[in-house]
Order: sequence, then C-alpha cells, then structure tokens
Amino acid sequence: MTTDSLPTDSLPTKASAAFALESKDLRKFYGRGKRQFEAVRGVSLSLYPGEVLAFLGPNGAGKTTTIKMIAGLIYPDAGWVRIAGKDPHRQPDALRGVGAVLEGNRNLYWRLTPLENLEYFGVLRKLPRRMARQRGLELLERFELVDKQKEPVRKLSRGMQQKIAIAVALIHEPKLLLLDEPTLGLDVEAGETVKTLIRQVADSGCAILLTTHQLNVAEELSDRVAVIRRGEIVAEKPTQELIQQFSDRSAYRIEVAGTLDVSRKLALEKLGARINNQVIHYAPPAAKHQKGSAQLTSRHSANIYQIFSILDPLPLVDVRQDKADLTDAFLRLVQSDSPVDPKGDRTTTPLPTAPLPTAPSPTASETQQ
Amino acid sequence: MIDLFIGELKRTWLQTLRYPTEVIGGIVILTAVFYGIFFSTQYMAGSANAFGDRLDSLVVGYVTWTLVLYILNDTATSLQLESQTGTLEQVFLSPFGAFKVFLVRAVANLTLRMLLILVVLGLILWITGSQLSFPSLLLLPLLTLILAASGLAFLAGSLALVFKRVQQLLGLFQFVLLFLLATPTEEWTGTARTVAHMLPILPSIGLLRGLMARGETLDWGLWAIALANGLIYFAIGIIVFRWAERKAKRQGTLGGY
Repeated sequence: MTTDSLPTDSLPTKASAAFALESKDLRKFYGRGKRQFEAVRGVSLSLYPGEVLAFLGPNGAGKTTTIKMIAGLIYPDAGWVRIAGKDPHRQPDALRGVGAVLEGNRNLYWRLTPLENLEYFGVLRKLPRRMARQRGLELLERFELVDKQKEPVRKLSRGMQQKIAIAVALIHEPKLLLLDEPTLGLDVEAGETVKTLIRQVADSGCAILLTTHQLNVAEELSDRVAVIRRGEIVAEKPTQELIQQFSDRSAYRIEVAGTLDVSRKLALEKLGARINNQVIHYAPPAAKHQKGSAQLTSRHSANIYQIFSILDPLPLVDVRQDKADLTDAFLRLVQSDSPVDPKGDRTTTPLPTAPLPTAPSPTASETQQ
Repeated sequence: MIDLFIGELKRTWLQTLRYPTEVIGGIVILTAVFYGIFFSTQYMAGSANAFGDRLDSLVVGYVTWTLVLYILNDTATSLQLESQTGTLEQVFLSPFGAFKVFLVRAVANLTLRMLLILVVLGLILWITGSQLSFPSLLLLPLLTLILAASGLAFLAGSLALVFKRVQQLLGLFQFVLLFLLATPTEEWTGTARTVAHMLPILPSIGLLRGLMARGETLDWGLWAIALANGLIYFAIGIIVFRWAERKAKRQGTLGGY
C-alpha cells in the first residue's frame, strides 16, 4: 500500500516493542475551509500487555476517531501508532496483533452461524482454516455458546451477538483488543457476562482499550483511565488514583435509624454537619482542610467522635468516608473549562462535600411548585 | 491465499444457501428475461430458423452481459451492503489488506456465479433449441473479458467507497453495457474499430462472439489486443481502488453509509 502522504514522524524506539500499543500526538481534522475542525488534538496513548485502559469522553469528544486511527481505519493527519512495535498504516501485518469490536456495528455476518463467523474471520486474520475452526470451537466453549453454534447469528439475542463479536475479535489471539462500547444495549446479566469476559481476556495478557459511557463498567474493569474532552486528553491516571484525586477523605457520611430530635440537629449543625433525614454529612471546612496540618486532623477526628456522642444511643446504620466515584471525577473533568494538563495536579481540587446528584433532576412541574 | 479463497467461497455459498429462494429466483429471472428477449425478436423477425448465427450471437451476448453485469456490480454492491451491515470495517482490519480480500472475494463469487450462469445457459439452449460450439480456446477471451470487467468492478467499488451511494450509477451501467455488448463492433472498420479496441471489454466480446456463434478460429492478434485491454483496465481498477481506500481512510468515512 502506498502511504506516501501519511505523516512520517519519528520511528519507533526499541522500548515501544514492550508496549502492546503506543500512539503519539495523534491529530485528525475533518471538513474543509471555514468548516474545518480538529476532532483529535495530539492524543497519545500507551498500553502494556494485560492492561485495561478506559478511554472516556462525552459524545463527539474524539474517542471513536482515535480508536479507528489506532486500528488503521482512519489515517491520522499527524502523529503515529505502533502496535507491538509495528505501524498499522504502513505494515498491514501489524493488524495481526489487533482485534476490534467497533461501536454500534454488528461486526458479524448475520446469515452465518457463530462458528462459521469465527472460522471466516480467523481465515481473514491469516489463520490456517483448520486452526481457525479449532480456535472457534474453543472460544465458543469458553464463552458458553457451544449450544448456539449452529444457529444463524441473526436469531441470537443481543448479548450473545456481542459475546460472539468479542470471540471473533479474539480468534487470532491479538495482543491488543479495541472495544468501542462493548456493553451498550445489553441487559444487566449480559452486561455482567461481557464484563467478566473482558477481565478474563486482560488476565490472559491482552491489552484492552475500552470506550464506554457506562462509567461503573469502566471503574470496575480498568486499570487506568484517560479522559478526552474536545479532542484533547484532559486526564490520564490509574483509575483508583483518579478517583482518589476527586475524593475528600476527611468527609464522612453517617446514617442512623430513627428520628433526630431538634436538640441533636442543632448540636450537629453547630459542629458543621449537614443533615438530610437520617443521613449526616460531615466535612471539615475546605480552607482549613487544605492546610492539612496534623493538629487540624486531630480536631476533625475529635469532631467526628463528638458527632457520635451526640447521636448516642441512636442505632448506626452506616458510617463511611465520602468517596467520589468515576462518574464524579468524569463529570468534573469534562465540565471544567480549565486548561488541559493531563498528568498534572490541576484536578486536585476536592469535590464539594455533598456528592454530585445522582437522582434525576426535578421536572418542570416540580420546579414550578 | 488458498485458505482465504476457500473461506470466501464457503462464506458466499453459505450466505446464499440460507435463502434458497434467492438462488431459484435468480435462475428463473435470468432465464425469463432471456426468454422475453428471444420472443420479442422472434415476433419482429419471424421464425427461429431465420435467425441463424444472429440468434447464437444473441445467446452469447445475453449470457456475457449477465456475467459482466454481475462482476461489475459485485464489488460495489458488496462494499455498500457491508458498510450498512457493519462488517466492512472488520474486513478492512484484515492483515491481507482490503484489495487482496476483495479480489479473492470477487474470484470466489465469480466461481459460484459461473455455476449459476451455466445452469441458465443450459436452460436457454434447451428452450431455444440453439446449439453453440464451446472450443477450449474460448477460455482465453473469457479470461480477458473477466480481467477487464473486474477492473471496471474495482472502479465501481472505488466510487462506492468514496461516494457510498452509487446504486443509480450502477443502474446506468446496465444500459451502457447492453448497448456495447449487443453492438457487433468486430465488424467496424477504421478509427471506429480502434476506438472499439480501447473501450473496456469490447475486444473480448468480439472474439467470444466469433468463436462461439460463428465458429471462427481464434485470431491471436486480436486476442493480444483483448489481453492488453483486460490488463490495462484491471490495472486502472487496482490503482483507483487503492486511491479510493486511502481517500476513505483520510475522510474517515470507511464504515459510513
């Protein structure tokens, strides 16, 4: 294939062979003239074997374009991609190391059975026919689909089709698996099965680049998270570290059984706690908290014990630290207008004491009342 | 590559078999259309005996037309359909490269199509009482014909890759082809003959008509022209298809429809 007009950035280093995926400064423009816009702005992503990277972002942020540039389906206007050290845009053989389940696509031939699909796509990925069939049977067994191997794919449920699509992507034992919205449209049970499969695949040493709007799925599965906003990576960190960054560990949530009387409420409010029915939120004032001295910490602990004594003898239902989840972190990142510093500590400002609302916002009629 | 060919053959065969009415319908329609052409010609020109060579030419012309039309539409239709059903990008993820996959796919489809054509041809000969000669040298102009038609198929496929909706254009091709194939350009002389040699498929068709309907021997000089014609159009097809693939990847529209 002639790829003379592709960007000719620096060649891969020896170190890049250790990565399952390495991409550097990927850029993509769409449109022409005044309508031209930069869909992807200097995205760099790397993955080690066995690592799961959740690639998150709102609709139109540039996730799918980035994934397709990595898979060799869209040419980048600048930057480069290496899959196990090979360039998928110049060396088609690099695609032997990639499996992909692309967003919203059926990815399968609906008239064929699961085994026929697996065998065909195995051959298409350069496996000998017999081996493709053998691996197909193994995957059907592993994915618990043996009893469906002779049914045309169109007759199977959405969950089963998605499992087959993942099996097809794994038929040639790729080093890198690209999953664009793998749990979209699946019911709870099918979603759980797909999540288990993804984890198993990662444990077998395959690197996984995963995009999803279901942030609980990303939180559960990923080792690392990269958040893209308007074509730029705004945060890239180990998942737990990112969540930690948005959590205020000095804040507590205490739930009691029974009703809080007025005197208790007043005493709690005096200490700075907020009360919502049987739930008490306590967080030290932000300014003092940020100083972080040992003296202040012990004073906050004293306040917590004082809250407990006020509540005594009401039965405690739940006591825990207020901790952000990936949804909180994601929303803060994509809603922020601050300049981008993906590896920096720009995002260290803790969340407000109250967690972000998860309940639906009031309807118009409720607001009017 | 052999595994890929067998894989493609199996895929096409299985997909076709899942809907057997499509196969039967295809045979019935092809045969019925020819029967219609035959009867309308007979109505205008009298009994079948009066046709002589002209009826044989008509048989060759019609069968060739259906074959060429199939080859021509095949790649573009497959590309268009697969981008709609969502398998196209998976095909482009093949380490063989898209061109090789679509070439092997075209050969596999053609093999199955030839079987269908042979059935239709048998039916036509049985209905019309025609007798055609099938010298083994027939394979040579058939090869050049397939080469040129495949080149055109990749041109049409390139349009489908870049512009997506090309159904109207493919419909137009049918009429242009019918005109080109039904015109006995081998009887033209001078500049018109030279132009006919340069147009796609025509030199091969002239040779086929001569061999099959008129019982002539193969003119090696004309076959060399037909071969050059086939190779050139095939090369053009490859070059344009690769350009279209790059263009679609640059536009980011490979999987769009």
